[in-house]
Amino acid sequence: MDFPQNMSMEEAFAQAEAEAKLNQALSESKARFENAVLPNRLNEDWRFGRPHKYATALAELLRSDKPSQGEAKVEHAGEAAVPVSADDDDLRRTEMLMPTIGSDALLGMHLERFGSGYALYIEEDTKKPIRIEYTTTGLFTSSTFIMVAPGVTAEVVEIHRGEGDTACMFATRNIQVAEGAKLKILHHSAHMERYMCITNIQNMGGQVVQLTRHDTHDWAREETVAEIYAPESDIQLYSSNLPRNGVLDLHTKQIHHAGGATSNLLYKNVVYEGATAIFAGNIFVAPGAHHTDAYQSNRNMLLSEKATVHSLPGLEILADKVRCSHGSASSGVDEQQLFYLLSRGIPREEAIGLLAYGFEKDVIEKYERA
Amino acid sequence: MSLIIKDLSARVKDGAQILNGINLEIPKGEVHAIMGPNGSGKSTLSKVLCGHPDYEVISGTAELDGQDLFAMSVDERSRAGLFLAFQYPVEVPGVTNANFMRAALQARLPKGEELDAVSFYKTMRAKMAALGMDTKFTARAVNEGFSGGEKKRNDILQMMMLEPSYAILDETDSGLDVDALRIVSDGVNAMRAPFRSFLVITHYKRLLDYIKPDVVHVLYKGRIVRTAGYEIVEHIEQNGFDFLKAEE
Ligand SMILES: Nc1ncnc2c1ncn2[C@@H]1O[C@H](COP(=O)(O)OP(=O)(O)OP(=O)(O)O)[C@@H](O)[C@H]1O
Ligand SMILES: [Mg+2]
Repeated sequence: MDFPQNMSMEEAFAQAEAEAKLNQALSESKARFENAVLPNRLNEDWRFGRPHKYATALAELLRSDKPSQGEAKVEHAGEAAVPVSADDDDLRRTEMLMPTIGSDALLGMHLERFGSGYALYIEEDTKKPIRIEYTTTGLFTSSTFIMVAPGVTAEVVEIHRGEGDTACMFATRNIQVAEGAKLKILHHSAHMERYMCITNIQNMGGQVVQLTRHDTHDWAREETVAEIYAPESDIQLYSSNLPRNGVLDLHTKQIHHAGGATSNLLYKNVVYEGATAIFAGNIFVAPGAHHTDAYQSNRNMLLSEKATVHSLPGLEILADKVRCSHGSASSGVDEQQLFYLLSRGIPREEAIGLLAYGFEKDVIEKYERA
Repeated sequence: MSLIIKDLSARVKDGAQILNGINLEIPKGEVHAIMGPNGSGKSTLSKVLCGHPDYEVISGTAELDGQDLFAMSVDERSRAGLFLAFQYPVEVPGVTNANFMRAALQARLPKGEELDAVSFYKTMRAKMAALGMDTKFTARAVNEGFSGGEKKRNDILQMMMLEPSYAILDETDSGLDVDALRIVSDGVNAMRAPFRSFLVITHYKRLLDYIKPDVVHVLYKGRIVRTAGYEIVEHIEQNGFDFLKAEE
């Protein structure tokens, strides 16, 4: 082995070991894509998500020769933003290694179309929120990378928007936050016939506060894996959605590799008649990740008896001195509250709108206050 | 022009019958009071008139200025001029007082017309001042965490904002301190007008000394068993409702 003069033996070994690990991970992930099967009903992660109707249709679209078409814009980024190009091997490798929640096969297809989106290398505090916006009328696969340097405070708004009746977007998002850094990110998607988003957050001792909103899609699936790699990390995941029809399929994992850190998740949905909302969340506290605080809560308000909710919160704790809780609750509109609003002459639909807004409001306030 | 209730019987949905043939006529411009022992059906009557979903009308009619009240939805009744200040106002987390009142007033405007926000806030603040309410209550969620008396005042504030033609006050005096009772009564008296009526439900003479009723009804076991003048208030205050039992 030859190693640079200015490197100690230990450092050289460490570097070689890291490289070997990476190579192994890459070859494993290659195998992962080669062996992956398309989402199907036997896959626990797609249990209520109607894989045949949605995932298969998405896969067909990705395999077709239909070109990706869409617009990627970035504002207020200064020097920080770089367009993702198909031959950026580092970024491609990052996407290759990202975890999914039951969608390896789809991620593999996403990689085949790799090359659109923006990477943000944020090394200075942002004055205005950096705004990323992807728009499509057809099929668009995007990749977003956000890296926040140590000690830097940043705010980002990321918009994924469809136009017309048949927009389809498949987005990946990789977010890395260094020690002492703080990232506040609003992720908003809207108006898609099909929308899928796989997000991986890696926190090395900073703070990440995310608010997600998926609006007016026929089908939307989110897979968010938030990982904590260092003590003092804090991750806050908020989501506020009002599905009016179709399927909203939300999957999250909070993984504590390191102890002495916190994660908190609150996902709230107001589910209208004819819509289905699925939430499957998991907290995983690795062996040795002691002194972890991790919370997870899913709340649903059903606006009709025809609205459907499947809520599957989960916990797996392999460490000591851990404070964890998870819970879910679903209920209809409170009849007494509704009557009170009606009794003052507010029309029914509007009264329900006010209650729905009131139900979601604390999520938005938590994000704004963070 | 009046509120006319004829032979009204009602029950708790899938439950006991509470109102057993109520007859009542409240002409415009008059203040009527209802007294009656606990559980006699006073709150039930007022909620049935507003269309509360817990209750079911078995028979009878109610007319508001000639319109069939029971053919209207809850919100329509309110916009037609009916108002109920609740015995137990409901907490509505997440909805601010200001947004609540704005929506209620907006609903009264013709289609396409926008409520003027500036004059709305001005009016709301003026009425709050008149009721001795801090303006910070505009931004607070409706009744959430309010004290008992604050909730009662908040309902009266709503009445003052919506200016109904028929207002029912269900034990508005309970929970109010001595000063608040006077302030709220002054507010009600200031609203007395030839085009407006009040139905005041109370257990105490105190309130009726401030808001002098034209007619007093006694409700007992779901029926109006007496209709009299102010003198009966005095009688009940001193002797209670024993005279009703003696007649059974
Ligand atoms: N939703 C309900 N479910 C069950 N019982 C009810 C319901 N509403 C009213 N009742 C019953 O009907 C009767 C009348 O109740 P109501 O609240 O109308 O009395 P009230 O005259 O207002 O009494 P108070 O002076 O104590 O306020 C009581 O026996 C009460 O328990
Ligand atoms: Mg009562």
